[in-house]
Amino acid sequence: MKLITKYNQVNVITTIIIMLITGVIYYQAVSLILTYQKDKDLVVEEQEIYEYVNLNNKLPQTFQSNDQQIIFLEAAPGSVKRRFIDTVYFKKREKDSLHKNDHDHNKHPAHKHHGWYEAGRGLITFVTVGDKYYKILIIESKVETEDLIRIIFSITIGVILLLLIVLLLTNRLILNRLWKPFYKTMGELRLFNIADPRDISKSETEIDEFKELNNAVFYMTAKAKHDYKDLKSFTENASHELLTPIAVINSKLDTLIQTENFSDRQSKLLNDLYTAVSRLNRLNQSLLLLVKIENKLLSDQQIIKLGILLEETIIQFEEIFLDKELKLTYSISDKDIYASRYLIEILISNLIGNAIRHNYKGGEVIINLTAESLTIQNTDGDTALTDKIFTRFYKSSGSEGSGLGLTISKQICENVGFSLSYLYKDSYHTFVVKFKG
Amino acid sequence: MKILVIEDEEGLRESIEEYFTEDGNICETAANYNNAMVKINLYRYDCILLDITLPGGNGINILKSIKENNYPDGVLIISAKNSLDDRLEGLNLGADDYLVKPFHLSELKARVMAIIRRKSFNGSNQLIFNEITIDLLAKEVKAGKSTVKLTRKEYALLLYFIANKGKVVSKNAIAEHLWGDGIDMANNFDFIYSHIKNIRKKLMEAGCSDYIQAAYGMGYKFTDL
Repeated sequence: MKLITKYNQVNVITTIIIMLITGVIYYQAVSLILTYQKDKDLVVEEQEIYEYVNLNNKLPQTFQSNDQQIIFLEAAPGSVKRRFIDTVYFKKREKDSLHKNDHDHNKHPAHKHHGWYEAGRGLITFVTVGDKYYKILIIESKVETEDLIRIIFSITIGVILLLLIVLLLTNRLILNRLWKPFYKTMGELRLFNIADPRDISKSETEIDEFKELNNAVFYMTAKAKHDYKDLKSFTENASHELLTPIAVINSKLDTLIQTENFSDRQSKLLNDLYTAVSRLNRLNQSLLLLVKIENKLLSDQQIIKLGILLEETIIQFEEIFLDKELKLTYSISDKDIYASRYLIEILISNLIGNAIRHNYKGGEVIINLTAESLTIQNTDGDTALTDKIFTRFYKSSGSEGSGLGLTISKQICENVGFSLSYLYKDSYHTFVVKFKG
Repeated sequence: MKILVIEDEEGLRESIEEYFTEDGNICETAANYNNAMVKINLYRYDCILLDITLPGGNGINILKSIKENNYPDGVLIISAKNSLDDRLEGLNLGADDYLVKPFHLSELKARVMAIIRRKSFNGSNQLIFNEITIDLLAKEVKAGKSTVKLTRKEYALLLYFIANKGKVVSKNAIAEHLWGDGIDMANNFDFIYSHIKNIRKKLMEAGCSDYIQAAYGMGYKFTDL
C-alpha cells in the first residue's frame, strides 16, 4: 500500500467520522433552537386562546391557517397534562374544506383526504370555559424549520465535502511532489550494481528527512562498493598468490615422475596428486577469470565468426565425444558477433564441455546456432536442474567441475550483453544464449 | 643448448634447472633482477626463461635491455599474469613466447625447443630424430622414405614427445597440451591411451622403432632406444 493511500484512508475515515459526529451535534443543536422557537410560538398562541376565553368566556372559533391548526376537545376535568409534543401536521392540498386534524397523532388516515403529512410541533394544553373542561391541541407545521435545518445542514456538508476533496487533491499533488526525491533515490537503489564503479547520485532536495535518507543511501552504497572492492581484490590477490605454490607443486611433480621405479601404488598416488593439482589450478584460474570479467579487464573486442568458432571447438573436442560415444547433432548458420574472442571461446568451451561432462555414455548433444540464439542441449538425468546452477560453487552431485563454469558463462553473457538461460525440454537439458535484441 | 632461467621462486627455479639439465645442455639461473642483468650482458643463451615479477626490478626491463642490445637470445616469458595486455606487451617487445604459470615442465620444454628451433635452424624447417624427419612448415612426418599420415593432434603430440625425449610426460600434461583447458570435462584420460596407440601404430607401420613407452600408468616416455 502506498503511503499516500494509507494516509488518505486514515484521513478520509477520520474526516468522515468527525463529520458525522459534528453533523449530528449540529443538527441536534439547530433543531433544538428552532423547536424552542416553535414552542414559544405555540405558547403565544396558547396565551391568545386564554385571553380570548377570559375575555369572551367561550372558545374561539377553531381555525386553520397555512401552518397552524387548533383543536378543542371536551375532556374530563383534570385529565389533561400540559405538554409539548412532536407530531404530524396534515397539510391539505386545497383550502376548500376545513378539516380537523385527527387528535390522535399516531393515526394518519391520509387515504381519506387529499393532502399530506408534515412534521409538526404541538402543544397539548387545557382550558376551562364555564364548567366545561377542554383539551386544546395546537399544532404548527415544522416544515419550514425542517427545510431550514436541511438547507443549513446540506450547505455545511457540501462545504465540508468540497474541503475534503480539495484537501485530497492537493495532498496528492503535494505529496507526489514531496516524495519525488524519495522515488528518485529508490530508482537509483533499484539500478544499483555493486560492481558498477559509478557512484549513486544524490538527488537534490530541501527536505531534511530526504537529505538524511540520501546521505545514508550514499554512504551505505559507497561502503558496500568499497567492501566489495576489498573482497574482490582479496580474491584476486589470494588467487594470484596461490599461483606460485601451485606452479611449484606442478613442477615438482613433473620432476618427481622423472625418477624411476615407481610401484603401482605410488603411481596411483601420483596420478591422484596430478588430478588434484590440476583441479586446484583450474579452480584458481576460474576465480581469476571471474574477477577479470567483473572488472571488465578483457577488452579485445573484435568481430567473431561464431559458426567457425563453434566448428573449431567441436573438432577440438572430437576425441572426447568419441570416447564417451556421444551422438552429436549440430546445425550452424553464419553469425557474426562483436565481443572479446577470449571470453567467447571460454563461453562456448564451457557450455559444450558441460554438455559432454554431464552426459551418459552413448548420450546425445545437440548444438543449434541461429541468427538469434545459440542452443546447446544434452541428455542426462530426467529431472530439471534448479536455478542455483548459475550460482558460484553450486555443483550437482558427482560433478567434477569447479562449480564456476556456469557462473563464468553467465558473467560472460552479461558482459557481452547476451542472456543465458536454462530450461528442461523433452528430456533435454537446454542452455540458450540469446544474442542482443 | 644453453639456457638461462630468471625466476625468483626457488622451488620452481630448481625444478626447471633440473629438468633442462641433461647431456650437452647448460642451464644457468638468476634469482633476481641485478643478477639477471649481469648474466645477460656477459653471456649469450639459446633461450632465456624470464619471470616478469622479480625482486629488484621488472622483468620487462630485462627484455627491453636484451632487445636494445640486439642480443639474439630467444626469450620466453613465464608469468603469473594471465592478462591479454601483459601478454601483448611482452610479445610486442620482442619476446618469442609467453607461458602462464602454473605450467607443466614438459610444456615449458616444448615451447623452449620450438623457440630454439626457430632461431637456430635459420630457415631450414626440418626436425630430424633418428629415422624420423619432420617438415615443420608443411607439417609432414617421414619415417625414412615413407610418409606417415598423422592427424593434427597426433602431429602435435609427436613434436611434444620429441621435445621431451627421455622424460616421462604425464597424461595431464599431454591432455592440457592437446585439448587446452577444455580437458576438465573428461573424467579420465583413457582416450589419451587410444591416441597414443594410434600414433605408435602409424609410426611402426612406417618402419620406425617403438619409441613411446608407457610409464607406470602416469604418463608416457619417448626414448631414444
